Order: sequence, then C-alpha cells, then structure tokens
Amino acid sequence: MFLALKELKHGKFRFLMIGVITVLIAWLVFILSGLGNGLSTLSAATFKNMDAHYVTFEEGSRASMSRSLLNESLADELEKADDVSAATGMGATMGTVLNESSSADKEKVDVAILGITPGNFLEPDVIEGNPLQANEPLEVIANDTLKKKGFEIGDTLKIEGSLEKMKIVGFVENETYNHLPAIFTTLDKWRTIQFAAPGSDKGIKNPVNAIMLQGENIDSEKLNKLFKNTETVTKSTAVQGMPGYKEENGTIMMMLAFLLAISTFVLGVFFYVLTLQKSNQFGILKAIGASNLFLGKAIVAQVFLLSFVSIVVGILLTYGTALILPDGMPFSLDFKLVIIYSLLLLVISILSSVISVRKVTKIDPLQAIGRLE
Amino acid sequence: MSGIQFKNVSKLYQQGENQVLALDDVSLTVEQGEFIAVIGPSGSGKSTFLAIAGALLQSSEGEVILNGKNLNQLNPKDLARLRLEEIGFILQTSNLVPYLNVLEQLLVVKKMAGKVTKEDKKFAKDLLENLGLAAKLKKFPDQLSGGERQRTAIARAFINNPSIILADEPTASLDSKRAHEVVQLIAKETKTRNKAAIMVTHDERMLEYCDKVYRMEDGRLKHDNSFKHENSKRLSTIG
Repeated sequence: MFLALKELKHGKFRFLMIGVITVLIAWLVFILSGLGNGLSTLSAATFKNMDAHYVTFEEGSRASMSRSLLNESLADELEKADDVSAATGMGATMGTVLNESSSADKEKVDVAILGITPGNFLEPDVIEGNPLQANEPLEVIANDTLKKKGFEIGDTLKIEGSLEKMKIVGFVENETYNHLPAIFTTLDKWRTIQFAAPGSDKGIKNPVNAIMLQGENIDSEKLNKLFKNTETVTKSTAVQGMPGYKEENGTIMMMLAFLLAISTFVLGVFFYVLTLQKSNQFGILKAIGASNLFLGKAIVAQVFLLSFVSIVVGILLTYGTALILPDGMPFSLDFKLVIIYSLLLLVISILSSVISVRKVTKIDPLQAIGRLE
Repeated sequence: MSGIQFKNVSKLYQQGENQVLALDDVSLTVEQGEFIAVIGPSGSGKSTFLAIAGALLQSSEGEVILNGKNLNQLNPKDLARLRLEEIGFILQTSNLVPYLNVLEQLLVVKKMAGKVTKEDKKFAKDLLENLGLAAKLKKFPDQLSGGERQRTAIARAFINNPSIILADEPTASLDSKRAHEVVQLIAKETKTRNKAAIMVTHDERMLEYCDKVYRMEDGRLKHDNSFKHENSKRLSTIG
C-alpha cells in the first residue's frame, strides 16, 4: 500500500490517464445496464410486478401470451391442484386509444389492454382514483404514462377499429407490457375487444390467454401431466416469452459482456506496460530484499485504489447522465445492479493486474547488478 | 562466525555449446570491520563474484557462508529475506525509487520487513544526518545531485543494520571529488558500525580507503599486496 500510494501521488498524470479510461468503461457499463434494465421493464414490467409464481399456457404456445388460448374455467381446476394457492386468468391485446372528445390523430396512444378479474392478485394498486369494479365494465385503470400524455380520471377513451369505449377511473404506476403502457380492464370487456370478429375465439368459452398461479412449490411437470393441452412455466420463463424480450436483453447483455471482456484486456495491457517500464526498478527492490509478495501487493493495491476511485466517479457520472436523459428514454438504474457491476469491474481490473504480478515474480534481481558477463 | 566466507567457489555458465568458467576456485574471508576491494578488468568475473556474495546467484561449486549461513542451502524466499536482513547493497548508479523521497527510500526497506516503528524513523534520520543529508529528507531523487543520490543509497544499505555491505562500482557515475567523498563515507560507516564490506570497482584511486585489495583475473582472485603500505597510512586518518 505504501509504494502504491506514493507512486499514485508522484505519477499523477500517468495514473489520471488510466483512471479516465476506467471511468469511461465504468460509465458505459452502467449506462448500458441502465438501458437494459429500462428496456426490460418497459417490455415486461406488468409480468415482473405481478404477485404470481407460475404461468399456465396452452400447450405449444412456447410461453407466449399471444399464441396461447385457454378456457377460464381451467383456473378453478388448477386452483384445486397441489401447491397451487390461487389461480386466475389473464388476457392481453394491443390497441390504440383516443380521447372521446378529440379526433386529432396525433393524440392517439398505443396501449396494451389487459383483462383481469377485478380485486384479485393481478390487479395493481392505484396511485390515484379508484380500483376496478366487477359490475362496472366500462371502467378501466391505466398506467400513469397516459396521465403524462394529458389523459385524466373521468376521460372516456375510444378504441380504434372498435365501437368499444372505456372510462379511466384510476392510475397505476410502472405497469408496462410489451413496451406499451398498460390499461387494466375486466376479462369480459377485454373479450369483447379481442374477440370482436366471429370465430376468433376458436370456439373456446370464456377464453383467456394464460392463467397465473400463486404457489412457490408448484410442480410444473405434474401440472403438465394432469391438465392436457397445457404447459406451466415459471414466471421468469414467461417474461422471457414476451415478444422481443429475449432479443433486447440478449443484445444488451452481449454488449456488456464484450465491453467487460475488452476492458479486462485494455486495463491488463496498461498495467502490464507500466510494469514492464518499471522492471528494472522492481529488480533493484528485489535485490535489496523485497519479496514477490511485497511487490505483488503493491501492484494489486494500486490497481484496486485506481479502479475503486474510477468506478465511484463512473457511478456519479451515470446518475448525472440519468438526470439529463430525455423523458421517453427507457433508462432505469437499479441500485442493486449498479453495485453488482461495480464489484464485477473491480474484480476484472484486479484480474487484469494478475499478469503484471506474474511478470514481477519473474524479474531476476540479478539485473540490478547490471552488466553481468 | 560473522562476516562472509568464500570456500573454493566456482561458477560455471553454459553459453550455447561452450562452458564459461566465470569464477575459478575463489576463497576469501572478510571479517567484520573489514573493508576490501575487488578490482579487475571487465569480463574478469567481478560481477559474478558480487552476485554470489549478494545471494543473487548460487555457486556451481564450493560454499559461501554469510553470517554463519550456507547460501547454497537456502530457497529463493529465504534468500530474499537474507538479502533484506543481512546484506546492504550499494549499486552502480544509486538506483533509487523515483517516486519516494530520501527518507522514504530508507523506510521502504523497513516496510519490506514489516512495520515501520518510531525507532526505525529515528535511525533513518540519524543515518541520513551522518551522511550529510539532513536538509534533503523530503527531496525526490531527481532533485538530488549524483553524490547526494549515492549517499542516499549508502544510507539505504545500512538501514537494516546488515552484517555485510556490498558495493558495485559505487563511483561509476561520479566526478573524482564526489567519488572520494562517497568511498570515504562507505569506509567510515563500515568501520564505525563494524560491518564487513566488499567493494567491486575498477577505479584504482579509491583503493586507498580499503584494508585489502584483491585482483580478479579470468575468474581467479589474488590478493594484491602492492597497495598495503599506502592503505594503513590512509586508514589512520579516517574515523
């Protein structure tokens, strides 16, 4: 630590340059993780937020709501199965809504219309207004994105391509589905919108897209055998099945992985070149009695200090950036993720110094004597 | 016994097909309080001799006993420890750590062994004061003159109170006035602190400060008597 600190202090400019590079890497890592987090929230927040553990789909739908169609009565049967504490149907459809009083095209908003049973565990708490009522089929609760777009409680919405109307009675927050703000309505209302065309329900009575199950110890294999034509998966598998979710997440994760791999090499090479430059100095220190451990510790301590400070600066910059990003940008920093990536970066930079430490152990103290015949 | 002893030491290098005998049956004893010089042309094996004495290189044949320890029987870790505790190196160019100030140059050696105590700090300051560096404690190597750097290196060699001092061409980069100063200081510190000291040099002007002079030629070490008279005369004026 002694050598490490003294050298950092003495060679400010050199270490500042390496520090800046580490800061930039950390900054980019955090921004990417924020974007990834934001995108996946946008894509599947409703799924992630809901208090369910497993989801039952129609067999062959590959965990996708849009490919699956089931009879709602299946929920009652599932509820009786082992380890299932509650089960309820859910339906989803995409649509475009417009304030009834307006006819301007530019005020149209794309939304996800989600059908649920009012009052059960799928219904999110409202932050403003009233919850859904089973006997009020017109009433809906909407994500607060709509509020930001000028909709208010009491507004009546027209649905494009349909004669159906809805009235906003409450707002919820952080409810997005398939990148769109969610509007929650009753299952019956949802059916009249989704299955307006004759035959589109494939003859299934009271259709739903999927059935959400509560119960942490559910044995999905057993349910698959017990109920023909269904497949039950964990909630996280269902999230993966959201359209585009895997692709978006995969892209971000791949960028992150490459960034981390590249930064390992970049930092590793930097530290290695620094070490090479000082190899004569290390030889002398070894000749006067420094052990490999002593010198190795000095290098690792230096890298640790440098990375630690750089990562902290990177975090501050990231939060600063978050403040000035445009409103519609799907950017959401998860503090837990920031900590995880910080630790990962710290580990990576220390790993990258290992090659330098190895070099130091190989330096022969004999070179201090210089001109050996 | 303390001091350093070479017993029939030989060193063989493999250079491609050929074998080079860098040291040929060298025997030598340096007692505590004794300051000896080894001179010889380049390629004579002086550096090999110093490297073996400094536990940086192991001999092919024969034994080197340093302060009662046989160097051939130690592993690299123990050798590093021995270099730290028993040997003080003064190298050709002072070879100070560029980012440490004069006082820290000494303290880092203490750090290698563990913690730096208050006594260590005081001892370091006393040493530096003795060598006329009291006003330069906070200076970095690039702010020092060549002589001051070499004096710092001398102080560094003495900080751990080693039993033997090894100097490798300590005057190589100095003008003759500073060179005399530096060797005089090494001689003085060796005497007052009762160390065994070996200086490898080709600078014959410096031999007057040494108790004995050995000449190295083609790996063989011979005692050179021609300097003896002059030395005893000069030594009485030191210390």
